[in-house]
Amino acid sequence: MRSRRSFLALLGVAGAAGIAACGFRSPDAVYAQPPGVVPPQYGGRERVVFWHSYSGRNGKVLDEIVGRFNDSQDDVYVEAQYQGSYDDTAQKVAASLIASQVPDIAIFSDVTWERFYLNDALEPFDAYFRPGFDPSVYEPRLFGEGVLQGRSWWIPFARSTPLLYFNRDAFAEAGLPDRAPETWSELREWAPALARVQSAGRSLRSLAFLKVDGDWQFQGNVWQFGGAYSNGLDITIDEDGAVAAGEWQRQLIQDGFGYMASSVTTDFANGLVAMAQDSTGALRTVMENSSFTVGAAFVPGEVDSAVATGGGGIGMMRNASPERKQAAAVFLAYLARPEIAAHWTVETGYLPVVTAAQQEPALVDLIAQEPNYGVAIRQLPRARQQDAIRLYGRNANVAIYTGLQQIYADNAAPRDVFRSVARRLESIADEVRRQYEEKVRP
Amino acid sequence: MTPVTTAAERGRPARPQRTPRPVRAVQYVVLVGVAALFLGPLYWLVTTSLKPADEIYQAPPEFWPTTLTWENFELAGQAAPFDLFFLNSTFVTVVGTALKVMNAVLTAYAFVYLRFPFKNVLFLGVLGAMMVPGHVVLLPNYLTVASLGWINTYAGLIIPGIGSAFATFLMRQHFRTLPREVTDAASVDGAGHLRTLWQVVLPMSRPMLITVLVITAVEEWNQFVWPLIVTNTVQMRTLPVGLLLLKDQEGPTNWGTIMAGAALVLAPMLVIFFVAQRWIIGGITAGAVKG
Repeated sequence: MRSRRSFLALLGVAGAAGIAACGFRSPDAVYAQPPGVVPPQYGGRERVVFWHSYSGRNGKVLDEIVGRFNDSQDDVYVEAQYQGSYDDTAQKVAASLIASQVPDIAIFSDVTWERFYLNDALEPFDAYFRPGFDPSVYEPRLFGEGVLQGRSWWIPFARSTPLLYFNRDAFAEAGLPDRAPETWSELREWAPALARVQSAGRSLRSLAFLKVDGDWQFQGNVWQFGGAYSNGLDITIDEDGAVAAGEWQRQLIQDGFGYMASSVTTDFANGLVAMAQDSTGALRTVMENSSFTVGAAFVPGEVDSAVATGGGGIGMMRNASPERKQAAAVFLAYLARPEIAAHWTVETGYLPVVTAAQQEPALVDLIAQEPNYGVAIRQLPRARQQDAIRLYGRNANVAIYTGLQQIYADNAAPRDVFRSVARRLESIADEVRRQYEEKVRP
Repeated sequence: MTPVTTAAERGRPARPQRTPRPVRAVQYVVLVGVAALFLGPLYWLVTTSLKPADEIYQAPPEFWPTTLTWENFELAGQAAPFDLFFLNSTFVTVVGTALKVMNAVLTAYAFVYLRFPFKNVLFLGVLGAMMVPGHVVLLPNYLTVASLGWINTYAGLIIPGIGSAFATFLMRQHFRTLPREVTDAASVDGAGHLRTLWQVVLPMSRPMLITVLVITAVEEWNQFVWPLIVTNTVQMRTLPVGLLLLKDQEGPTNWGTIMAGAALVLAPMLVIFFVAQRWIIGGITAGAVKG
């Protein structure tokens, strides 16, 4: 897996370089679509290629929504093509730009769309807005993250925040109250009680930390301890707040109540760990795969209680033809219908990105029946866009999670680790500073 | 590990000295250890694919599963069209292997039996290609395939991989060990190059040919990065890429299902390997003895 990531990254770097060296890519050229298969009943329509990153259960739901859209009208055929993880998809889009063969719309994650924006590969949505598909439809906080220089580049779709999942049965067995800890200090106090519970032949650990990509959860943790990764592009990860967050986690692991895991939610769903910080998008699968009662709650606070938004949104490729862009907008308008947005949320657990979806009976009923589904919505006022370095710095996330691995696995002192991570981030920031000043700074 | 009978000992060609029994015992322990090292992961994969979910994560782990279930295979089948992936993989592997080995055999024959200028320099070039990691050419290949309009086609999947420096090298080294007299005799009898290749050289190289075939087939079958990049639609995916579909973007991973998928991917290659095994061993030792 590791090596595939780096090879694809290599391809992506080359791709991004290709985009940047506008020598062989004209931003306004019209590129062909990737080929695919159009079933005969949809022949003769405008075809829209949609690259996405949802497999497993969520992928099935997306396929079903796309199928419903295709059956709902006679002009547009959307072909949804799964391209691997968020990173894989971004690399493939970069490669597709070099190959002059682009999808019309694609899923980009919270940290991948910015690069395409900076390199003029995205089309602003503003000219395609229509009643029912316009800024007022969306949750303002989430929609605003995709707006730069007064235009909209990234439409929210599968947006998420981390939640604290907890094993209610284990909490009961440990004699703890039937709620999640409200602060990290409280979690620390409860850890010994949880350790007295036996699970799968050993004592139950309180919290697991993700080996790869744990820097998203940690972004929120840093804020909760009063720090930040960066202020604009000025790196602050080596300052007190971030160090305190790292130190808290290091201590928990050293005391035997925490550990590093390659899939935190897999461990959680199988009862190996009592709590897990993971995306709202995992809610449905966690609940279906756990044999105990799952509780979902706000991520604990400490001196602050902010959490980071994350997940995927949709970007439109500038090199698609005008007809394909118009057709894609018809599909995006369909996704913006409250009942469709609510259906996606109900089936996956992602945030309802369309404000009116919160009043849809399907979602209202589900929350009444299973309050876990309402937690992320209630947590939304605490949600914030991530610090600029993680969003705009190329591979800043890798620099941060590699540092975290040293803390989790090698018991390294957070201050030293973050000092060297900060050096790395500063050079990453320098790479992108010119473009950032030009295209992001308001 | 029963003591060797004296009758058998007498029947054997003179062995300089019989290995002392304790050394023997140690040798066997090491052998069993190494076998366990190789078979362990395989055993774990197969049993995990047959275990119900709660047994997979049990600690201490259940080495001998108590309940066997096909559920994981059913789930894998529901999650992704594995029959389609299987067909794609088979087609790509069969055609890809055939082209690759044909290419390698013809090139190797030319390098050994034909006389042409700069032969050694050209062969150095082939050796050089062997040293280049495949992923360096990923991007140029992608660009070429894209400009040919081969993205998401079988041609795009197969053609860029049909030149194999390694297979050429193996075949050439083997051809060089064949007695020159035989091919000379063939040409005296009036055989052309193709006939010499087909009726003289290849029959004498059967173990090496099969070794190369199996190595190439396994390589083709297990390809991951290239098929991931060059295909876009579910209809064109191969098995290793299809395994990705079993993994959820968010939330817990169902390892039982993934192991079931992996077992499906693995099985055909294991079968091929077991069937071809005796020739492969023949091929390797033949090469070793003759240098």
